[in-house]
Formats: sequence, C-alpha cells, structure tokens
Amino acid sequence: MIPEEPAGIAERVARLAEFLIANDLESVRIEREHETFEVGRAAAEAAVAMPETEAPPQSVQSRVEQIAADRVGIFHLGRPAPYEGERLEGERELGYVEQLGIRNPVRSRGAGRIVAILQRDGDMVDYGRPLFELDRG
Amino acid sequence: MFSKVLIANRGEIALRINRACQGLGVRTVAIYSQADKDSLHVRQADEAYCVGPGPVPRSYLDIANIVSTALAARCEAVHPGYGFLAENARFAEICADHGLVFIGPKPAVIAAMGDKATAKRVMKEAGVATTPGSGILDSPREARDAAKRIGYPVMLKATAGGGGKGMRVVERAEYLERAYASATAEAEASFKDGRVYMEKLILHPRHIEVQVLGDGSGTIVHLGERDCSLQKPSHQKLIEEAPAPNLSTKQRNALHEMAVRACRHVGYTNAGTLEFLVSGDHVYFMEMNTRIQVEHPVTEMVYGIDLVREQIRIAAGERLGYAQGDLRARGSAIECRINAEDPRSGFAPEAGTISRVVFPGGPGIRVDTHIYDGALVPPYYDSLLAKIVAFGETRDEAIARMERALRETVVEGVHTTLEACLELLATREFREGKYDVGSLPSLLATAARG
Repeated sequence: MIPEEPAGIAERVARLAEFLIANDLESVRIEREHETFEVGRAAAEAAVAMPETEAPPQSVQSRVEQIAADRVGIFHLGRPAPYEGERLEGERELGYVEQLGIRNPVRSRGAGRIVAILQRDGDMVDYGRPLFELDRG
Repeated sequence: MFSKVLIANRGEIALRINRACQGLGVRTVAIYSQADKDSLHVRQADEAYCVGPGPVPRSYLDIANIVSTALAARCEAVHPGYGFLAENARFAEICADHGLVFIGPKPAVIAAMGDKATAKRVMKEAGVATTPGSGILDSPREARDAAKRIGYPVMLKATAGGGGKGMRVVERAEYLERAYASATAEAEASFKDGRVYMEKLILHPRHIEVQVLGDGSGTIVHLGERDCSLQKPSHQKLIEEAPAPNLSTKQRNALHEMAVRACRHVGYTNAGTLEFLVSGDHVYFMEMNTRIQVEHPVTEMVYGIDLVREQIRIAAGERLGYAQGDLRARGSAIECRINAEDPRSGFAPEAGTISRVVFPGGPGIRVDTHIYDGALVPPYYDSLLAKIVAFGETRDEAIARMERALRETVVEGVHTTLEACLELLATREFREGKYDVGSLPSLLATAARG
C-alpha cells in the first residue's frame, strides 16, 4: 500500500501525503535504520489543501492552493462574481455547490489572489473537484 | 426502458450491473470513493463521479452525494447492487422523492423485510414456517424469559442485522446476560440499531435460499434454490451451489411454494431471496433479502436468465413475459468466493496490492471480478475479489470444472480463500453434498491434516 520510495525528499513527502489523504489516515510514519519520516494531516493540509487530493502538491514558493468541492452538485459562482486576478482581503464566499436544493458555500479560507477559476457557473462538480486556485503569497 | 442508470456500488457487482445496462442499451454512471479512483467500474461506466473519501460512511453511504450525482448526471434510475444502501428503505424513499426509480422493491417492503422481527411476523401471516422465537428484546430480563420459553440453545440476532454482526449463540442460561450485552453493542455499532431478538438455535441446519422475481403486473416466479451452507464462522458464505444437493422433491417443492406464497402476500416486486434453515424434514423461514445476492450467478447458470437484466426491466415497468411453467432448471452450478482473507488467521481480511492475477476459462466457467494486475485492495470494503462459477450438466461435472478453474487461478499480493475452496471441494462431505452451516471449520481442519 505504501508507495515505493521515490528519489527526492519533496517527492517522497508529496507521495506520502497523497497516500495519507486517499486512505483518510491521520498520519503515516516510516522508520528505517538511519531515518524516520512522518507526514501528518496538518502538514498535508498545508501542502495539498484538503480535500483537493486530485491536485498535484504545489511548491512552497508559489503558495498556490486549490479550493475543491466537498459536496457533489451544481457549482455556482458567488455574487458579485469573483474574477481571475482578483485580490481577496480576507475570507469570502467565492461560490456554492447546490445539492438537493441546499447551498453549500465554497469559501476562500483566508486572503489571497485568485489565480484561476476552474469551473463554469452551472457545471456539475463531484467530490474533490478543483474549483479555484488561490495564491496565498 | 431507462436511458441512464446510476450504479450505487463498487467492485464486481458494479461491473456486473454495468454489463446488464450495456446489454439493454442503457448508459451508466459510476460513483466511486477516492480510494477507488483507479477501479475497473470507474473506467467501464459511461461516466464516473467521485462521491467522497475512502471510508464507507463518507462515500458509498453518503445518500445526499449519491442522489445529487444521479440528478446532476440526469439519471432516471439507481441500481443499489448488494450491501451499502441496497436494503436501506430510506434511500429508496429519497430516490423516489427526487423522481429517481430505485431498482428494487417498494420502500415499505424493504422496511418490513429489513426488520427481521417484522419479517417473521409477516411470514407467519403468510403461512410460512418460521423458527420459534421472540419479538424484540428490550432488556436482559426479557431475553431470559424468552429463552426459558423457547428452550436452549438459542441465538440472539440483530433485527437490522446482516453479515453475522450482532449474532450470538447462547447454549446455557448463565451465558445469556453477557451475550445480550455484546450482541446489542455490536448491533448498535454496526447498524446504529441495537435491537435484538431471539430464535431457537436449529442444530446442524442447511442454509437454503430461494430466488424469486416479481413484476409490477403481479407475476411472481421462483428460480429454484441455492445451497449456501458452506459459511465461515462469521456466517459469511464461501461456496454456494444450485440446485441444493440431497433435497427431496417434496422439500424442494415446499420451499419453492413457500417463497412464492410469501412474495404474493407482501406484493413483492423485483428480485429477492428468501433464506430458509432446513433441518431434517423441517423447513424454517430465516429472512428475506430484498436485493440481488452475491451468489446470484449460480441461479443464472442453471436457469439461463440474467437476473440483473430482469431487475432493470421490472423497474422500468416491463413485464416478465414468462410464467413459472416456462422456466426449466438445467444442470448444476457452483460458486467459489475468492476473498482477500487469510483462512489460517480466521479469515482475517487483508488490504494490499494485487501483484499478479490470472483467471481461468474454458467451457462452463464464469468469472465475475474487479481486480487486475496492480489493483489496490483498499482496507475499507468487503474483501471479495472474484467469484468463480462453474456449470456442469451434472454436479460431478461442475465440481470437476471448478477444481480445474481454481487450479488455473493465480492471485498474488494478498492471502486469498482460493486454496481453502479447493480443499473444501475435495472433501468427501462436499462430494456427497452432506454438509451444513457448521461444517466449514471441521472440513478445513480435516483437509489440513491431510
């Protein structure tokens, strides 16, 4: 189940984080003769932004984070509609996923700049589908 | 006929339903958890949508996400398969409330049959023999009184139960209180319903079940019986066969007649199975499963009828188009379940990666599976990897073909039940069709001693 050991440390951490999220584990610890590796949920969230497990981990320098759908339904942009390049000063509702008549808000989870809007208003989205990319830098 | 159906399941049964839909020209929508993203059912459906992370409550049991997927993908019907939401009356109701056809019986029938105590009462009303037992037991004291009336040994059973959860055998009065506490706790943990009832423990019974189909116009037929007595200590089946060996014509007819009578009484529609305990000349109704069964292929092999196709046709409002007299069983069929389990560790389930797999072929062999080289076996789900089914014109031919098929089969990467199945087939008791629900451990122990 544990992925085979990749070459670089960053790649190793990323693959362990992916494994951890896909299996909904709190942490993964690998102990070897000369080293110990542990990747926990908090670290994974910082690196890959749960539940956006489909997205490749972002580099620390760019601080680009994906916001993903955590419910299945029809995606709608918020009002006023967010736009690419927009700078968010703080927490904001960027849109919502409509599910069985209920609006499930999609929040920015803090300040940042909207790098990309990945779904159109009215698109069907499933669990973990990336909706926005935000630069937290 | 429907234009698009959502398959609310995973694994081999999701593929099985996908095939039936494709045969009817129906487009399919698969759902999957993140742990199943590379699964075959995801690849083979026309569309596939993720409904949550690996753990079952957050994906395959997330009713809102599943119904929302069906609506957003413009499905007309939902096939629940077996397990998960297949016998959840509330799910069937919610589907109907949102204009989706639930491929199964009416929610009220699912609810009545899903509650085992209610099911027994309904069957009694229909004149079907049931095991002596109690209603729901609200306290250890009620359990004590019931056991005194029924007579030891008794069995405590969860009213919402399945898969052996919440079941306890109690041989003597001094063990009752403890068994009651652990059965109710296990039932609560497994089904969020801790209610239990009691039945007389029938010693050395066979588990024989009858397959039924009912359409919306009132036609109800049976498709014979299956013997599912070879069960693990957890009461989960390992080898099934149709028809049941060593059953007198009188007993066979009585079982079939009772099953059809019971279905008429409850106005049953779609596919269902009535499970009976058979002990000597006595036949007792045990429970009704209001869904397709894992072991349905053995019935398909001897009757030549695609049961999943029939489920979809019935749900779409079509008539069966045949009566009991048109149905003829032919030959014999056996199914072996290849599970990711270690028989030497009490059939403990295993997760891992399938490193290599080779499946059998040839005349009379059918394999229903979802695994492939490199497939992941996640830790969250049922351990079933493959069902190998052998048909023969005679039972001996079916056994010979099954033995050959199992020897051709290779599954590497996890422990499996393959060798255990081969060992069971080779025993004198299986050859002679003389086994019951308690036989499996002793047969395996005998085989191990060589």
